[in-house]
Amino acid sequence: MSNLGSVMNVAKGALLSNASAINITGSNIANVNTPGYSRLRPIFSSVGGAAELQFGVEVSGAERLYDKYLEVQLVQQNQKIGYYEARKGVLDRVEGIFNESEGGGLNESLTKFWNAWEDLSANPTGTVQRDALVSAAESLATVFRQKAEELQEVQQDMNVSVSETVSELNSYLASIAELNEKIVQTVTGGGNASDLLDKRQDNLQKLGAMIDFQYIEDASGAVNVFTSNGKPLVEGGRTWKLETAVNPDNHDYYNVVFQDEPDEAINGCFSKGKLAACLEARDITVGGYLDKLDSLAANLVAAVNDQHRSGYDMYGNGGGNFFDPVTDAAQMRVSTAITEDQGKIAASTSVDRDGNNASAIAAIKDSLLMGGGTATLSDYYSALMARVGQDVKDTNSSLDHQTVIMNQLKSQRETVSGVSLDEEMINLMKYQLGYNAAGRLAATVSALMDTLMSMTES
Amino acid sequence: MVTRVTENMKYFLLTNNLSSVQDRCGELMLQLSTLKRINKPSDDPAGMTTVMNYRDMLASMEQYGRNIDGSASWLNITESTLSSVNDILVKIQEMALSQASATATAATREQAAAALQPLIDQILSLANTKLGDSYIFSGTKTGTKPFEAEAAVYAGGPANAAKGNTYKGTASVSGTYTGGTNITYVLKIVTGGDLDKATYQVSTDGGKTWGVESKVGDLGAGTVDLGNGLSITFQAGTFGEGDTFTVDAFALGYYRGNGEEMTLNIGKDHTMHYSFSGEAVFTDKGAGTVDVFGTLNDLKAALAGNDAEGIRATLDGLKEAQQQVTRYQAICGTRTNDLEVTKSNYEALKENITGLMSNVEDADVTKLITDFQMKQIALQASYYMAGEIGKISILNFIK
Repeated sequence: MSNLGSVMNVAKGALLSNASAINITGSNIANVNTPGYSRLRPIFSSVGGAAELQFGVEVSGAERLYDKYLEVQLVQQNQKIGYYEARKGVLDRVEGIFNESEGGGLNESLTKFWNAWEDLSANPTGTVQRDALVSAAESLATVFRQKAEELQEVQQDMNVSVSETVSELNSYLASIAELNEKIVQTVTGGGNASDLLDKRQDNLQKLGAMIDFQYIEDASGAVNVFTSNGKPLVEGGRTWKLETAVNPDNHDYYNVVFQDEPDEAINGCFSKGKLAACLEARDITVGGYLDKLDSLAANLVAAVNDQHRSGYDMYGNGGGNFFDPVTDAAQMRVSTAITEDQGKIAASTSVDRDGNNASAIAAIKDSLLMGGGTATLSDYYSALMARVGQDVKDTNSSLDHQTVIMNQLKSQRETVSGVSLDEEMINLMKYQLGYNAAGRLAATVSALMDTLMSMTES
Repeated sequence: MVTRVTENMKYFLLTNNLSSVQDRCGELMLQLSTLKRINKPSDDPAGMTTVMNYRDMLASMEQYGRNIDGSASWLNITESTLSSVNDILVKIQEMALSQASATATAATREQAAAALQPLIDQILSLANTKLGDSYIFSGTKTGTKPFEAEAAVYAGGPANAAKGNTYKGTASVSGTYTGGTNITYVLKIVTGGDLDKATYQVSTDGGKTWGVESKVGDLGAGTVDLGNGLSITFQAGTFGEGDTFTVDAFALGYYRGNGEEMTLNIGKDHTMHYSFSGEAVFTDKGAGTVDVFGTLNDLKAALAGNDAEGIRATLDGLKEAQQQVTRYQAICGTRTNDLEVTKSNYEALKENITGLMSNVEDADVTKLITDFQMKQIALQASYYMAGEIGKISILNFIK
């Protein structure tokens, strides 16, 4: 048997349930632009016993709509994107250093240098030709030094980037641990941790852009984060923070270490994310370009100096070094003896001032000094430029490709977890209708009550 | 299954598409403004290398072209100088022939001798022709005046100490040079120190190749035998490593230069000898066969001495001298020809390479403009879409 009081109760339940559904819809609408927000759906369930004819309603909670596997894929994809974006940033800078498509730069300076020797060979005693040669040689040395310094600057900046990235990722590790604790507390207390879960996921995504790692959610709801070779970074509320340590064996650049193991470099643990890109660019990519530039400078200096020493200057003295005998492009300079007295350029193979030694030096441009006797100096430099170009091209196309995959994954995530205003508006109308109907039910019961009461009056 | 399209997705796709179209537009605009397909190494790494190689080749050819022009002007001067010498030699031959005949008298011969002197002076001045600061007939010693009016032989004097030498004492050469050709001796100190400590090497070709190093103590007495009758004596003093002393020894004759030729690169492994030594053209030493100035002075002496036999004796020499000069005139022609052929080869090659370079690095303008227009349309469509996307909403329909 039913009574009016219980109908009133049902109406109350319906009003409250629809109101909380509208409440949830409200959060969805409010968070339409919040990154990482997963939409919520009210869980309606009927209440009432089998013995009764009527069933009430209640909203037992809000369901957070998300796809766990998709989130893992997104984190992994972020690691790739983070790596390629950082690498592209560096390589674009390096490409600028090596861009000689408009002429100018090292190749042109080299050509001018050789041509100045040719001109001197045609007029071995000419002061004009000697002056021109010294200025061509000085500008060649300057271009070498500039390029080497610019590359070193890129390395320095990458080094700073390594330390910044480490401190940034430490803060993500800390907030993941903190969120872990809060989530476990909230879940144990029976509360809704939806917001905290979204925040933690967002932190995992951001961490993913920096390093590669794996994460597992344990039974209590906390996630444990490990490096790719299994060392823990976060376990529940605990973190193992990273740190940078100066490595005297590598130009005093930073190594990445664990704070509690400062002597053990773990640079090799990272193969994705911004940190790996910075380490690789600093030590391998840009370091490699610099080695090649150094080798070019060293071979040029040695070949010119050898030939120069076998000749005679204007005064009948044997030639000295034309360039300072260095092996680093960053140190390349015309020797001061030459810049102070152009007469000391040894243009001649004998004391008779023929121009044959200048010819012989000019001919170095065609000798196969590089690559084990397979390439001229110019060939070697072109190959270095092509190497840079190819690296940039490969990185760009990888980044494009990974971005397409990323966009695909983001769309998929949106499909599952994103807020659609159309959908929310329709839900809003639906819950409003439900609320209105429940109100009408309450009014009807109230009228029935009145009728009942008026019966007792008469 | 219906895919849920959310607000974020719509705007995300829109901005993504807009920036990718913008990016491509920017690239096309860069290509249009430079008209080049390759604007940075990553546009086409292999193409960039090719372009650089072509650019190097063009720059080398440019330089070789300059060297060719320089050699050609040198050869031109040489040729016209030799031609003038030839004319004068013809005149002298005629004179000698007529004065050798029986009709000539002591008076005509004396007159002829007086007329001969200015002609000899002319040839001497032609043989001492300069181009710029360089004497064209002194071999590689272009700073040395190649011919003197009087025949002489090197008979010692001070040795030239190089400017940078540590040794401050005097070095003098004694003896008379007995060698057949002009030689530049160079003595180089290998180990520095006082006379009894220092060691040295001697070169007889101006410092290109060296004899064996002396032993410590060889220099103790301060005198080094250079060979060919010459020796060099040093005062006591301290030598520095690398100190050099030069002795320009010349054989009996008028010539003071050396027997070498000046060279320039006019191609990869292609060297042009663009000068002749005065030794080959005007003397009987080295590559030469007749002593031009000697013969002329003999003729003058015979004329002055009214010596018909002596005049006749020079006739063969004069003829040979003229032949010798003409031979080098002809070689000038061949070498100039060689230069012209090489130069026109370079011109043709330059054009080819410029064409090839353009194929690699220049953009196809028609295609660029079409692409650019297409991207413009796509960009407009994207902007239109951006304008419209906010207008359609369920909010417009529910009241």
